Amino acid sequence: MLRRGSRVIEARGISKRYGDLVAVADVSFKIGKGEIVGFLGPNGAGKTTTMRILTGFMPPTDGTAIIAGHDIFSEPLAARRCVGYLPEQLPLYLEMTVTAYLTYVAKIKDVARRARAPAVDRALERCGLTEVRSRVIGNLSRGFRQRVGLAQAIVHDPPVLVLDEPTLGLDPLQVRDIRQLIADLTSPQDGNQRTVILSTHILPEVEAICQRVILINEGRKTVDAPLEELTRDGRSLEELFARETTHDVAEEVES
Amino acid sequence: MKHVVTVASRELQGLFVSPVAYGVLSLFAVLAGFFFILGVAWFSDVVVRAQQFQAFDVLADLNLNDRLIGEFYGSMSVVLLFLIPGITMGLFAAEKVQGTHELLLTSPLTIWDIVLGKFLAGALFVLLLVAVVGFYPGLLFFYGDPELGKTLSGLLGLLLVGWIYVAIGAFASSLTRSQVLAFLISFVLLLCLLLLPAISELGVAGGGASVGAILSYLSTNTHFEELVRGLVTTSDLVYFAVMIGTFLVLTKTAVETARWR
Repeated sequence: MLRRGSRVIEARGISKRYGDLVAVADVSFKIGKGEIVGFLGPNGAGKTTTMRILTGFMPPTDGTAIIAGHDIFSEPLAARRCVGYLPEQLPLYLEMTVTAYLTYVAKIKDVARRARAPAVDRALERCGLTEVRSRVIGNLSRGFRQRVGLAQAIVHDPPVLVLDEPTLGLDPLQVRDIRQLIADLTSPQDGNQRTVILSTHILPEVEAICQRVILINEGRKTVDAPLEELTRDGRSLEELFARETTHDVAEEVES
Repeated sequence: MKHVVTVASRELQGLFVSPVAYGVLSLFAVLAGFFFILGVAWFSDVVVRAQQFQAFDVLADLNLNDRLIGEFYGSMSVVLLFLIPGITMGLFAAEKVQGTHELLLTSPLTIWDIVLGKFLAGALFVLLLVAVVGFYPGLLFFYGDPELGKTLSGLLGLLLVGWIYVAIGAFASSLTRSQVLAFLISFVLLLCLLLLPAISELGVAGGGASVGAILSYLSTNTHFEELVRGLVTTSDLVYFAVMIGTFLVLTKTAVETARWR
């Protein structure tokens, strides 16, 4: 399998154009096994588009990406099998029960028949859903739904997790729980150490769990550095974020 | 293939958990009963009158299959035209609104798995509807002697017409995220298909006989009526297969194109 530190995600010059609009322009990065990367940028910067390309939801206009050794163009199914994805809009069937939903996800993610029930049980347990397992998803609170979303991302035990704003709309305690869960999922003690890309607007969240920051602004990668380097000398991520993203706005105002 | 079944069974579960499936089924059963009773009343009325007037040529021409069951199937095919867009409108549009299409498209499924799974779910539901229709002519076997072959080939025709409608409905649903729009698109497409013979007659009037022939060949009704008359020919079956196949290919293309945009 993959060695620690070996590349698990590699974006090679990916671009995405919608007609004349350039959503992502020539973004490249390499992420090693076990890394938790915070994916930052203002709304509309191209974060979600980049994540959708990595997860195989849409192909890039240019460039390609390699997920756990599989090219998203030449081996799309193998690449998708290696990714757990929590989209910004939770992909839930509200009329299903939690267990039925996770079993369905396990089936379409190619979890072998015999491994399916244990896989669902493990995901339920990890996400703290065991006591609501037979409830209908539509009747669950926002916090539980978010957990179901996370459970569907990990049910097939993928080496790569792509999480788009996993703590959106949660109360502070729920946010803490989800963060703890993400940290657990990537700890070296965990049998299958995962690589995580996490997009968020909550900068303290990045400081709490990420080791590295990639900042995207107007479709271009502007910062890619370890967190400790960015926060050395007592600087905060907020200053960095402001510096890297607002000067463009100032220019726009002038012109 | 196993993914097709997985997608289809989830889709069917979704239909039967919501009141939509039950609503459509009950409405359909009631309408079927209504048209059947109307047909039986009309038929017995004609028989009684023909006997009163000793019109033996009329009586000789009357038979259950052509004058009752065939007409009944025809009415039900029109009812299907209204109901099936209601079932298929959500096939793809609902997934887009719920955000679950992101789950489907980032799973190791091919687009054919998704499209065929959705079609299979709709096709099985139509099978259930046609079974409801089949119940009524079944009653006639206790009171008269309709031809079994003709009765069944007509039902097959209704089933195949329903499957074409499902394929068209799936295509309409793959074009948009609005279920209302999906319903309207499929309804308009189905109406065009129904009206093709009328348009072809206009074409003949204008002198374009070959255009008219093509249009009437394309019409679902032309082939449906052959089956109702008890004529199961390869060319009709090929027509149904080609129509279903064409719209499934179009659906697959629409899903794929949406991904590239």
